[in-house]
Amino acid sequence: MTEKWRLLLTGENTAARNMAIDRAVLVANSNGKVPPTVRFYSWKPSAISIGYFQSLDEEIDLGVCRDLGIDYVRRITGGGAVFHEDELTYSIVIPESHKEISKNIMESYGRICGAIIKGLKNIGIDSEYKPINDIIANGKKISGNAQTRKMKTVLQHGTILTDVDVDKMFSVLRVPNEKIKDKLIADVKERVTSIKHILAKDIAFDKVAKAMKKGFEEEFKIKLVKGTLTDEEIDLTNKFETECFAAKDWNHKR
Amino acid sequence: MQSKSVYKVPNGKLLKISLIYDKKNRSIDKISIMGDFFAYPEEAIETMEDELKNTKLVKDALLKKINTIINKNNIEFIGLDAEGLTTGILMCLK
Repeated sequence: MTEKWRLLLTGENTAARNMAIDRAVLVANSNGKVPPTVRFYSWKPSAISIGYFQSLDEEIDLGVCRDLGIDYVRRITGGGAVFHEDELTYSIVIPESHKEISKNIMESYGRICGAIIKGLKNIGIDSEYKPINDIIANGKKISGNAQTRKMKTVLQHGTILTDVDVDKMFSVLRVPNEKIKDKLIADVKERVTSIKHILAKDIAFDKVAKAMKKGFEEEFKIKLVKGTLTDEEIDLTNKFETECFAAKDWNHKR
Repeated sequence: MQSKSVYKVPNGKLLKISLIYDKKNRSIDKISIMGDFFAYPEEAIETMEDELKNTKLVKDALLKKINTIINKNNIEFIGLDAEGLTTGILMCLK
């Protein structure tokens, strides 16, 4: 019988709420309260998320963020700073002991990225996994991914770019050397792509989500069943949002 | 003395070190290990930073201490390794 996992479509949320939901699902799954879960979501307002080990002040110009109304948050996952605007963000939460999840972290990155690659194929885009944590199409990055393992549970979240505004991205991201900022922006424009860029047309979020749902079902040979956050997950989300992801202590901790 | 370094780990990620050190003793007073690498468990990086205090800023001693901390705390790095971390820290002296 085909295994059933939960699909969450949580729509647009603030940066702090988005990260709180991922963590709440992680805790609920580790307590055996909810099945493996795939979530598709987006960010409103647009936001920058930084990796757990990054310095907020070094990565982001907070003044520009404030002026442009761009949100920011520190993730519980490592990796780099990401500008979340025109994209579909996914997360998957699954026990570390699940038969489909390798004990080897790099192997499990590849496997989960396999679902995204199949999803992209479903909208006509060929792509491949590029270790450590990227997916590339036409030689350019279209998806970035980050994984953590806590309480014997895997959380991986990542972006699938539907469009990208590199100039806007670099108005809030700090660069190590201001003198070469223009060159850096030109380099990133060369290295990053999006669904819109490749297909030369806009694809609606819902259509991308549908393709990704199918991608996960194909990769893991499971059925994704639409569900909602449990009351306990909502309580946990509220707690993590207030106490962690919206708190200055957390976001400025490094 | 206060110093910073930015080091692209070969085949890895960008490591940023912020270091306060005792110039006379060539030892670490306080260190922040930052960047876009991955470490499991994540919180172990704070243990690493604490345990590196007073470590001599000499390649062999530093590398040995980092490896000891990695083994003791079962830290798994992706995009960073003990050698890269050692190099990044010692770059702060230049």
